[in-house]
Amino acid sequence: MAVEEDHWVFYFDPNRCIGCHACSISCKQFHGRDADADDWRTVTHHEKGEYPEVAEVPVSMSCMHCHDAPCAEVCPTEAIEKRDSDGIVTVDQDACIGCKYCGWACPFGAPTYGDNGLMSKCNMCLDQGPGSGAGAESKNEQDDPIQPNCVSDCVGDAIKAGPQREIIKEASQAAAERFQSNDGRVVVEPFRGEENLDMVEHAATPEHAGD
Amino acid sequence: MSERVGTLTRRNLLKTAGAAAGAAALGGCLTGDGTDDSPSGELSTAFGNCWMCSHNCGQKASVRDGTVVNLTGVDGHPRGSAGPDTEGTLCPKGLAQLDKTHDPKRIKEPHIRDEDGNLQKVSWDEAFQYTAERLVEFDENNGAETFLDATSWAETSIFRTVWRDLYGSPERISRGIHVCAGPTFVTGGMMGVGSNNRVPDYQNSEYIIAWGRNVLNSFAGQFEAKGVLEAIENNGATLVTIDPQHTITAQKSEEWMPIEPRTDGALALAMANVIIEEERYDEAFVENHTYGFEAYREAAAEMPPERAAAITGLDAEQIRRVARGFAEAAPQAGISVWTGTAQAGNGWKATQNITALNGLVGNVDRPGGLRLWKYPATASFGEVCEQDYTNRAEYKEPALKKYDEYSDYPVRHIEGIAHNLVPEMVENDHINGIVCHHDDPLKDGNAEAWIEAIEAMDLVISIDAYWNGVSRRADVVLPEATQLEKDTLGTGNWSAYPNHKWVTGAKAAVEPQWNTLPDFDILTGIADAMAGETGNDDWTIFQQWDSHEEFIDDQLSTLDLTLEELDSGETNYELVEEYDYEQYSEDFTFRFDLDQVDSFAKAAEEAGMDTAPEWIPPGTYGDSTSEEYPLEFTDVRSVFFSHGSNQPHERLQDQFAKRNRLSGEDYRGNYLYLNPEDAAERGIETGDMVAIESKTGSGELMAVVTQRARPGFVTAEYGFGQTSAITTGEDAREKSADGMNTMMLHDMQMDPITGQVDRHIAVDVAPAGGD
Repeated sequence: MAVEEDHWVFYFDPNRCIGCHACSISCKQFHGRDADADDWRTVTHHEKGEYPEVAEVPVSMSCMHCHDAPCAEVCPTEAIEKRDSDGIVTVDQDACIGCKYCGWACPFGAPTYGDNGLMSKCNMCLDQGPGSGAGAESKNEQDDPIQPNCVSDCVGDAIKAGPQREIIKEASQAAAERFQSNDGRVVVEPFRGEENLDMVEHAATPEHAGD
Repeated sequence: MSERVGTLTRRNLLKTAGAAAGAAALGGCLTGDGTDDSPSGELSTAFGNCWMCSHNCGQKASVRDGTVVNLTGVDGHPRGSAGPDTEGTLCPKGLAQLDKTHDPKRIKEPHIRDEDGNLQKVSWDEAFQYTAERLVEFDENNGAETFLDATSWAETSIFRTVWRDLYGSPERISRGIHVCAGPTFVTGGMMGVGSNNRVPDYQNSEYIIAWGRNVLNSFAGQFEAKGVLEAIENNGATLVTIDPQHTITAQKSEEWMPIEPRTDGALALAMANVIIEEERYDEAFVENHTYGFEAYREAAAEMPPERAAAITGLDAEQIRRVARGFAEAAPQAGISVWTGTAQAGNGWKATQNITALNGLVGNVDRPGGLRLWKYPATASFGEVCEQDYTNRAEYKEPALKKYDEYSDYPVRHIEGIAHNLVPEMVENDHINGIVCHHDDPLKDGNAEAWIEAIEAMDLVISIDAYWNGVSRRADVVLPEATQLEKDTLGTGNWSAYPNHKWVTGAKAAVEPQWNTLPDFDILTGIADAMAGETGNDDWTIFQQWDSHEEFIDDQLSTLDLTLEELDSGETNYELVEEYDYEQYSEDFTFRFDLDQVDSFAKAAEEAGMDTAPEWIPPGTYGDSTSEEYPLEFTDVRSVFFSHGSNQPHERLQDQFAKRNRLSGEDYRGNYLYLNPEDAAERGIETGDMVAIESKTGSGELMAVVTQRARPGFVTAEYGFGQTSAITTGEDAREKSADGMNTMMLHDMQMDPITGQVDRHIAVDVAPAGGD
């Protein structure tokens, strides 16, 4: 069993996000998902203030593969698994009964439901297509594990993914500290421009996710 | 190139053997639910040069069974990365090439219009033969010189050879000067720096002014956005954005100057005022390498920051601060400027005044400043063509210069054509036909008159991938294979490599889809048919090449390269020649005053403007707001769309709707952005359909009420609505797409010097009513 430091996490630097949605599009293309399906990786834009004292900040978010994975906790058929090996939360659609408990339990709205009613969400590109990745070889066992497509196609180089111990090395101290004190979900760099910090905080807290 | 960033592996799918299990699913899950058939063929990689906005970011494609199943960027690519050892990516438009390649809404077969006026599917042989017959007939009846070449979107240089040299038409309209940023291109050329005034040397800059540009979203190659971010992070560069509307670039700037629209010329002069008054300019450069400084100094003296503040609505202290910051950082200070200040009636002087700042601080061809970018020395058509032929357009003058009917238009001294004047030229029988290749003139200005003009022409040939306003009205429709379906060679000047010239090349990743052909094959097919129809051997000049690849190899011969070499290996580009900064000669001259440029001096005199930098208020040429039309409109660009050709892609439409928080609506058009003040006065809320009206046109689109919009100023993304490529399938060929063709509001407004369409229009907006 891998230690938590080997679990894969996402990293997001709001200072480098240009709000272009390439991450959302490349995610859908890689997983063969229709344009109008709910995004697994979503870019939201948060506006405040009055012209010309106006600010608008884009935030790119996906399933955070939480250490406590509330979606897995509530799944009655154990279709959702928080993998010990690499920390990636996968769903086995053969076991999913489409009850949507996971959707209610997730603070970030990560689970989506297709025409077949079954849950699908980000699997860090362990495999391709909705429901894939369950049972796939651990990212940590692969010789040269592929990066999630959203990372490979991030124009601003704002998104990264990898084992927590590696990602933390790349992050600023402030981002690392924040990660430790924020349930260890996703590593987020502090936003330059103190006056707008609350906008990123707002977007990255469970009760406001996706606002 | 390194494939590692820190300790993290950043390789893409296809470089890894370990990805085989994951890759095996590729292609089998494209129908959406991931449960259907298993893929069978081998997965392979191929390259591409992205042409969605025509700026050649490198693409790496995953291909299985003749289908492109994934796309990503090329590491270290000159246009698609931040330079050496950095990731290559694709923007949303570039990613959409995957969908475009296999889009069932594309034109799939050649068509010709029958005697009853209906388009009928024909074979390529029939299409080529019919095209040749019609071209010969057109020449006999109207003269080839009245045939307008609108093919500047081309990925091969032989378009110009076919239409100008062989067919003999001097009439050519381009996307660049005529409808994109005429003043930017032409002032740069006349002032001595070419059109390099647009893109500075970001990587080495310490102070970047994005002047009327949302460079982080509306870029000419991703290296621009990446270069700005790198300059901020690595050089601690200051980013300043001058823009009436709030953008992502404004958001990431240290200073946003929310300027009154069309007053950029006053701001530029005020900055010069501060720099000259405080003696912060580069005296040596001004002394040794400029002309007309006294006239410039006098114009700047008349624009102290307080006067400019009253004109621009900006704070005088902010103007001083930015002027000082720019001058202090110079020569490592650059200005990024393109369409924003150019698409206005007074755009010429705005651009001249802005470009002049570079000469003043002496940043010309110095690290971090205005780079004199260079193209690689690929061989021209003349150099590689072994057969002699007669250039039939050599002694022909374009109608604009030839006939008295246009003597009131100063543009005739500068350009051979003006977009807005084409309908008048059609009425005068000076233009009677057009060949249009992906250009979308019906979205570029004076739209209503242009639609009538296209319908009145004797011959319309459309080479395109989609059923749009031109192809639907054409007599001949030649369906083109899109970029990943053909061999391409890309070159350019500006890039992430300020000291290298470069080329990028790619062989076709997949076969042409349906019954389409690459543009090279379409043109050589027409030429072969013309050879038979006319009996003139000049039309056989392309027969020396068996394929486009052979022609490209000849173009590359001067660099001792082949397409095969470019296309093999881990990347698809080559840095070919190194060049240093400050390579201009001792007698290099940067002109502040353009009185020595005869053509401009004549045009300026007729237009009533000075040859030196000068402040010309909005409304001098073009619209002023009034009681009846109290709002100023202009159209804008986003990261999702470029020109009029990306709008059919559902992924882009849906993400654009999401970006505007309106994806829940059954509407995928453009949005009108207006300030809450203006919206409240009119009882408009986000999501309402609104009617917008100018003196000469009107339309309907959906409103977005936002504080990012300046009070009194409304904007919308262009390229939508009437005359758009259809988005609902071939059967609904005449159905208009959602949204509004913004240029239906436009009439004849233009910059009098270059004829550049002036996209600032006085309008009013009201609730449209209904659903």
